[in-house]
Amino acid sequence: MKFRKRISNAIIYIILSILALIWILPIGYLVLSSFRVEQGSYFMADRETGKQYVMPKAYTLNNYKRLFSAEARKMFDFPRWMWNTFKIAFFTCVISTVFVLFTSYALSRLRFKMRRPLMNVALVLGMFPGFMSIIAIYHLIGLVPGLAQSHAALIMIYSGGAGLSYFIMKGFFDTIPFELDEAAYLDGCTKWQTFIKVTVPLAKPVVTYTVLTTFMVPWVDFIVAGTIMKDKYENFTVAYGLFEMIRVENINVWFTTFLAGAVLVSIPIAILFLIMQRSYVEGVTGGAVKG
Amino acid sequence: MATVTLKELKKVYDGNVVAVQAFDLEIADKEFIVLVGPSGCGKSTTLRMVAGLEEITEGELYIGDRLVNNVAPKDRDIAMVFQNYALYPHMTVYENMAFALKLRKEPKEVIRQKVQQAAEILDITDYLQRKPKALSGGQRQRVAIGRAIVRDPQVFLMDEPLSNLDAKLRNQMRAEIIKLRQRIDTTFIYVTHDQTEAMTLGDRIVIMKDGFVKQIGTPQEVFNHPANLFVAGFIGSPQMNFFDADLIREGDNYKVRVLGREFWLDEERQGILRSKDMDSRRVKFGVRPEHIVLCHDLALEPHFHATVDISEMMGSSVHLHVESEGQEVVIILETIALPDVYRAGFRHGDPINFTFGGNVIHLFDAETEESLLL
Repeated sequence: MKFRKRISNAIIYIILSILALIWILPIGYLVLSSFRVEQGSYFMADRETGKQYVMPKAYTLNNYKRLFSAEARKMFDFPRWMWNTFKIAFFTCVISTVFVLFTSYALSRLRFKMRRPLMNVALVLGMFPGFMSIIAIYHLIGLVPGLAQSHAALIMIYSGGAGLSYFIMKGFFDTIPFELDEAAYLDGCTKWQTFIKVTVPLAKPVVTYTVLTTFMVPWVDFIVAGTIMKDKYENFTVAYGLFEMIRVENINVWFTTFLAGAVLVSIPIAILFLIMQRSYVEGVTGGAVKG
Repeated sequence: MATVTLKELKKVYDGNVVAVQAFDLEIADKEFIVLVGPSGCGKSTTLRMVAGLEEITEGELYIGDRLVNNVAPKDRDIAMVFQNYALYPHMTVYENMAFALKLRKEPKEVIRQKVQQAAEILDITDYLQRKPKALSGGQRQRVAIGRAIVRDPQVFLMDEPLSNLDAKLRNQMRAEIIKLRQRIDTTFIYVTHDQTEAMTLGDRIVIMKDGFVKQIGTPQEVFNHPANLFVAGFIGSPQMNFFDADLIREGDNYKVRVLGREFWLDEERQGILRSKDMDSRRVKFGVRPEHIVLCHDLALEPHFHATVDISEMMGSSVHLHVESEGQEVVIILETIALPDVYRAGFRHGDPINFTFGGNVIHLFDAETEESLLL
């Protein structure tokens, strides 16, 4: 019995280790190569032997410095893109979270005609990839003066459909006992006060989750940003801007700089996650009602 | 402090499910009213209509002189204690209790004072800075009550506040509610499915079934003069014995035939039946287990022969299940008054004789199940 358990544990750990390796290798490669002295793309080939190698031969901070150098900023204005993305992410995150909160609360707490059909339609709509409608959205945005190639347009696109992803938050709201709302009504709350003072504080974990996921969107979106911004260089987001560095004509010179940029992009998200993880970990409904 | 008046209150849910109908009740100022009935009888729905958590389909509801049908819960000046406490888990006990006062924008000092006072009444001063999840069920229920009393409401609503507690704690909290009631003299509406709670707490009891009020009265009234078969069976534990019987009118006199015996009714009951000009009919005959006594003098009429089926020793009393004429009869006997022969207990098959006074019997119409004696 003990032996069998050991065997099965061994197998499980081997599989987990392989998975961990697969998951960690690219990140390790990314971080290591971002400090690489040798230029050039992907794996380096040794000049004399022609043998390919992964581990950099020498390390430097120059790739990072280069990102912020005036010379590079003429071509790839990384700091500006970073700031662009941060702005867009901030507003997208705030607006989207509010949308999701409102939608989920309405669907969880209010009873109205067409509630179920609406939920189903929203669920199905949410399954279509967002970029399917990108051409239509592009033309629509072109119709509004001042919106074309603007950050406002991106924020609108990112947060406009946020309500469709109500599902997780609604599920969470459903677990908050209705009696709490009723107790709040009797204590003198309006519906709005109940929402703000009781429901939202209790939904902290899922609000955190929503903040994190919506904040991530602009950092990783490539298609929408590219389609909307086209050639408007100064309005690029990091994801699209950095990609410029690894186009065929640039990759040999800019690849390691690109990697440095990629590492830096992960920092704001990591910081946000560290700040919010506390409320992310534990549910807080304990002790509300019998249980 | 206020009167509460329910006039022809009716609640119909979607899909034509009638939860409550024809509910008429005038609750006096500072009265303790208990709504009691089996689950699904509409007692909670009625309470929720008073609270404003449930829309009133028909009828009128007054708190004081004010028609409150369309008044939001927060403007009704009522407080409610929920069955599962419904404490705000993200707030401390203090914040939970202060919440309503804060919403009313009362000065901080006043809030502190009121919360402190309520906490002292309920003996929860030590827990004020704790979160609800760090409290036991009984403590949570105290906080829930505290949250309600700090508001000094006109009407105090309680929806099965004790049913989540274990039996010992329930008895303790029941006694505390009686004490609490003496301290904060206000109008109470209390919902329970437990007839003991109803009997011990209520000034008046409203017994409900299937959305209808079956009887309203003081604990003594509903116990001694149940209006119908349902109330007779619901109030009292173990429940009243019922037998099929015949009411026989001979001239102006009435007798019953039950368990194979015939006997004349007492003068009081004769009078009532006579005044109603009641004819002979099939009836349900009821007598409470505690009103039956062992009969040693066989000259006494009526007396009934029975054999012991099982006996349950409860300590101060014995619950005896006996069989007479093919029907089960439950008898409660005080242990202290048991004859010597039975001190050691009853055995299966022991023959006994029992009787009861003519003044403790109940008669219900076999068809309508209404009492013939009211």
